This record gives sequence, C-alpha cells and structure tokens, in this order.
Amino acid sequence: MNAERPSAQQLNALVDGELDLVRQLDLESRLESDAGLRAEASALRTLSQSVRARADYHTAPAALRERLTGRAAGKAPNLRPRLGRWWTSWRPLATSFGFVALFGWAITATLLRPSHDDRLLQEAVGSHVRASLANRVIDVASSDRHAVKPWLSAKLDFAPPVKDLGADAVLIGGRVDYLDGHPVAALVYRRRAHVIDVFVWPTQERDAAIRLFSERGFTVAHGVKAGMNHWAVSDINRDELSALLARQMALPENEGK
Amino acid sequence: MNDDESRRRFERVALQHLDAAYNLARWLTRNEQDAQDVVQEAYLRAMRYFGGFRGEHARPWLLTIVRHTCYAWLKENRSSELRLSDDDDAAAPEGIAPASDEPHEAALRNADRAQLNQAIAALPIDYREVLVLRELEDLSYKEIARIAEIPIGTVMSRLSRARSLLRLALQPGARPALRAVPNPARPGVKR
Repeated sequence: MNAERPSAQQLNALVDGELDLVRQLDLESRLESDAGLRAEASALRTLSQSVRARADYHTAPAALRERLTGRAAGKAPNLRPRLGRWWTSWRPLATSFGFVALFGWAITATLLRPSHDDRLLQEAVGSHVRASLANRVIDVASSDRHAVKPWLSAKLDFAPPVKDLGADAVLIGGRVDYLDGHPVAALVYRRRAHVIDVFVWPTQERDAAIRLFSERGFTVAHGVKAGMNHWAVSDINRDELSALLARQMALPENEGK
Repeated sequence: MNDDESRRRFERVALQHLDAAYNLARWLTRNEQDAQDVVQEAYLRAMRYFGGFRGEHARPWLLTIVRHTCYAWLKENRSSELRLSDDDDAAAPEGIAPASDEPHEAALRNADRAQLNQAIAALPIDYREVLVLRELEDLSYKEIARIAEIPIGTVMSRLSRARSLLRLALQPGARPALRAVPNPARPGVKR
C-alpha cells in the first residue's frame, strides 16, 4: 500500500490487535521484509507483556469493600462523603463483621463468574475471528448432522448436540476448537452471508437462560442447557442470534430430519 | 421506583467492578488512602446516576465516573499533577523510542516489578491512565476513548508515547526514575 514507514502508533495498534484487517495484513507483510520494524514490534510486545505480567494490579482493600457494602445496605442518601478522614470513624465491629463475612462471600461467588465470562467472551470472539481470518472455519464440511456429530465425537471426549436449525440457518460443518482451557466443538452454521459459530462443551453449571453480549461488533449469545455450555458468535443481529441459539438449545436432537 | 431493588442492582453491578475502580484510582492518585476516598466518592455518585444507567457495559461506565472523580479530587488537592501533556506537540516523545536491539529488549523482558511500577507511576497522568486501562484493564481503544473522553486517535498517540517513555525508563542504564514531563517546582500540596 503506501510506502511510508508505518508510524509508531500503527505498530502499537498492531501489537494491540486494534488494526482493521486490511491494514493489519499490510503491516504484517511489511514486518516480514523489514527486520527493524520487526524488532520494534517485538519490543512493544515484550513491554506490554512485562507490564501485564508484573506491574501491580491494585485490588480493592477489604476495608473499602466493607465500607461500600455497609453503606449501600444502610441509609444510602444521607451519607455525605467526608473525603479524607472517614477511616477514623470505625463502625462498631460486631455489627459489620457478620454482615461483611456474609456479603463478602456472596460477592466473591457472584464476582468470580462474570470475570470468567468476560474472558470467555473474548476467547469465543477471538476464536470466531481467527477461524474466519485463517479461512479455517470448518474441519469437517457437511450439512448432514449425522456426519458432523460422529466426526466431532471422535475428536472430543464428549458428544456435542448437533442440530438442524431449519432453513434460515444451515449447518455447514464443524471443527474442533479450544476455549476456556479445553477442546470444544464448534458447530458452524450459515445464515444468508453470515457465518455463525456455536461453541459447545460440557459443564457442571445448571441450565441458564440465554444472555446476549456485544463484543467488538460481534454478537455473542450464551446459555447452558442439559449440562452443555453454549456460546454462539456471529455478526448477525442480537434477536436473530438469540432465536437461533434458543432453537439449538431447545430442539431435541432427534427432531428435524 | 423500588429503591431496594435498585440498590441491590447497583450493588451487584458496581461491586463486581470494585477492583477495577480501585486499581484505576490507585494508579491515578498514586496513593492508597486517596484512592479509597476517591472510589468511595465515585460510588456515591454512581449510585446517584445509576437510575440512568442501562445496559451491559458496567465497567466502562463505572470507570468513567471513577476517572472523573479522580480528576476532580486531584484538581482540588494536587493540581500540580494535572499538567496535561500536549497531544499535538510534534516535538513530544513520538520519535524517542530507543533502538530496539537485543539488550534493550532483554531489559524490557526482565524488568522487575518495582522498576515497572516506578516507571508507570512516573508517566504523566494522561499517558498513565491510557496505559493502565489498556494493559491492566485490557480495554479496547474504543472503550478507553469513551472512558477518557478523547478521540481514538488520541488514545493511540498517548498509548504510543506512554510506551516510548516506559521503554526509555527501562533501558539499561536508565535507572533513575524518568522525568517524563518536566515537573515544575511543585507548589505545596494542600490537603
């Protein structure tokens, strides 16, 4: 494309995965032929990794958490913040202790899941994008679920539910992918020009209704059904994806043809 | 509107992101106690605005409020730290990234915790916040732009400069804390 030397900002964006596809490919090809640029990008990457791995992430002190929960549970409106000196006014320990213990437990329980979900969300979208970039959407190409399912089951230690979702989302195949630390089944459907990845793997979690997310312009739907985690990723709109995943989760496997 | 219900919802949403809120405040104020004050104040504000909050992007929403509160607090208490760097200044450290040779990269790879923390803490505040949001909160450029209320282009230039400055600071032989922005003689910190 242009022959100018790419700017430091572009290199940063490349390292951060924030370039659009065209520029990313362009820049990557230039890195290949330019050792200086390559070293530059690699230095940025190393720096980023060092910061992420070793710079302090300051988690909230227990005292702060305690204050906020105690506060929110008490009389919220009339508490004016007295910036600066509040820590001198300790509340009676006895009342707060039991409350805090209980609340802290409840919070950690709810807290752990969403951040885990956040990460999964990123992973699922990343996997969807990588597959389309690398043109490796499908390992086994077949619109026959009786071909896709055994192929996947042979590669995995579980048998994923593979379903026909009807005429508006055609099964085009499947692949084995890797999410959340284990191999998962990716069922690939096509709806009009859009590719839909449905990642499925076993979980201990209880059934959960479908929740929708948006991530980097992609729509992601998540639900748990009959001990199977379902994550659907696509660029179709939320209602459509939600409806498709609902059908995937609802249909008994022997329905359809 | 049901107050109880709304408060419970607030707790669920806001407390989930308390660590992120505190981490940002801690890096911006560079002091534990101040960060706690700021987060507490921010949460009071957030609770007030919570009725107007819809949707699922709670973390950026909350971080925007925390950031606002930080800046208000710093302005009140340590205004000397709020000297923002000039983004359009062409002479700014865009070009000063040190040569990326082998020893240099090894220095980046082996930088220890104290070095890294010190180098980040020494960054000008507007570079520091972008770097912290990117590397420690793993937010996208778009989300950072929304939180810091700057265009994406500015996110890019600040992040790029922040990293250049970090590289300089971590270079072999560059042990003394970097002077990122010439700090004018600091007027007495009023508290």
